Amino acid sequence: MKIAIQEILKNKLRYSILGIIILLIAFLTLAISGLARGLSYDNASLILDMPEGTFYMEEAAEDKHNFSAISDVQINNLNDAHDNMTLMSIQMGEVEDSSGQAHSLVFVTSEGHEIFPKAAQNELLLDGSLQDEGIQSGEEVSTRLISDNLTVSGFTEQQTYSHSPAAFIHPNDFSELVQSDASQIVFVEDEAAAIDGLTAYSNDEFLNTLPSFSSEQMSLNMITYFLYAISGLLFAIFFYMINVQKLTTFGILKAVGVKTITLFKMMWTQMILITIIALGIAVGISQLLVMVMPDAIPFQLTWEVTLFTSAVFMIIGFIGATLSGIQISKVEPMYAINQGGA
Amino acid sequence: MITIENLEKSFQFGSGEDKVLDQVNLSLNSGEITALNGVSGSGKSTLLTIIAGLQNATNGKIVVDGVELTNLKESELRQRRASQFGFIFQQSHLIPFLSVKDQLAFMIETAGRKWSRKEREEKIDAMLEAVDMMKHKDSNPNNLSGGEKQRVAIARALIHEPEVLFADEVTASLDSKRSTQVMEIIRNIAQTRKITVLMVTHDEDMLQYADRVVTMKDRKIIDA
Ligand SMILES: Nc1ncnc2c1ncn2[C@@H]1O[C@H](COP(=O)(O)OP(=O)(O)OP(=O)(O)O)[C@@H](O)[C@H]1O
Ligand SMILES: [Mg+2]
Repeated sequence: MKIAIQEILKNKLRYSILGIIILLIAFLTLAISGLARGLSYDNASLILDMPEGTFYMEEAAEDKHNFSAISDVQINNLNDAHDNMTLMSIQMGEVEDSSGQAHSLVFVTSEGHEIFPKAAQNELLLDGSLQDEGIQSGEEVSTRLISDNLTVSGFTEQQTYSHSPAAFIHPNDFSELVQSDASQIVFVEDEAAAIDGLTAYSNDEFLNTLPSFSSEQMSLNMITYFLYAISGLLFAIFFYMINVQKLTTFGILKAVGVKTITLFKMMWTQMILITIIALGIAVGISQLLVMVMPDAIPFQLTWEVTLFTSAVFMIIGFIGATLSGIQISKVEPMYAINQGGA
Repeated sequence: MITIENLEKSFQFGSGEDKVLDQVNLSLNSGEITALNGVSGSGKSTLLTIIAGLQNATNGKIVVDGVELTNLKESELRQRRASQFGFIFQQSHLIPFLSVKDQLAFMIETAGRKWSRKEREEKIDAMLEAVDMMKHKDSNPNNLSGGEKQRVAIARALIHEPEVLFADEVTASLDSKRSTQVMEIIRNIAQTRKITVLMVTHDEDMLQYADRVVTMKDRKIIDA
């Protein structure tokens, strides 16, 4: 589509402005997506890093894992339906280190199929952020509801739940902590089965039971959707204005026998070209941002998110341009011939 | 050979109807330049655009080389306009963002001519020589004078070697010297290539370039 490129080269300023605006919007979208993902990871990397599967909690707990207690009968039923179950429980809490300083964290224990690191009895495996807070490997820490002191046996990388660092603990210690032997959650890497008295959740559904998770994500996702909508409108308005100026030319082209689809292809080529260049630069800048962002700011931009965002921009640009191109299909050769101009 | 039989065209306005062409009969002989004149508003442009397949007749028949245009689908008419017809309008209507030579190249592509690159370039050069626009080969239409634009428009109308050329008031915006030059170019090319030409004009001086002159009067063709 040489003619499409020739037109862009002839009207460099006009198309550059569109390109720059698309670039800025795409960059903003990527930055916010990165922030959304970073924040969600900061919130619940423990769950986000799990494989896709099904979570079960007691129906009566109404989405709150700390009210859930899965009975032995239900465990047996689950065992019939699935292989490789992981029984897990989560409890918010606090430990005091040897210098008496308190650290809030979340105790996590698991049995069965191994997904999480396991701690031996009377030991704790802590998220790395607690090391930054000054806790050392081998240090003895205490927590109110467990009589014995617990020894820190090591640290894990980025394991958080509800914005708190995870502390992996032995099931026996956990039972002492919560005064209960029942597991709250059963996870399987499998499709959901119907089990009496249990509710099944997909990974996303389970994440949304975390109150802070859904509200954080919702507001950031809203912004992203708005940016998508703005970029679509921008394409529509921009090509609408350009097309209005070119209506006479389009009519003349039709008069001399150019197919309407050729005119559309010309516009699509321009849209795709500008979007690719703008996206390319926006992706470049956002990847640079990933590198220079200080660790304190939760920012995570995966290639999947980048590719997804780029694809959405392409599709929306295409729809926007095509809608505004309806005028192209409407213009009659006679309208153009009777019109003045070049 | 193009034959027009009992052609009628009416335009609706409000509740009424305005009959512009009434029982028009005309035949255009192959390789001949036919000039169509008549007073302003007599329906010359309407007749030309109907014959060229740019708008529909209300009634009647147009037969081009044995094919009845009124039976063709819009896509077939478009195809015919692209490959067999050439158009020059009162305004040059050049594509503003294409250089002079690219205007011609684009028309060759539109007409679906499968010429080699070398052949294409030779033909473009020869055509630009013929309209004396070779030195403006790479110019932008906005930088050309009215007469120059019109000569590029002629080149564009003929570069794909159409069988029929439709020219509506092509000299109306030019002074008499430029008009003569433009008409001479059209006549020379049409004669050497045996192109059928229908040219609309109400400039008496231009009639000398035609092989035959027909006049529109009272919604009809006289002296056909
Ligand atoms: N689309 C249209 N709708 C309504 N009336 C039209 C339309 N096109 C042309 N007419 C009318 O048809 C008549 C003939 O118009 P046409 O343009 O064919 O005349 P013409 O002979 O080419 O005139 P001129 O020499 O001024 O170009 C005029 O009265 C014009 O107003
Ligand atoms: Mg006219």
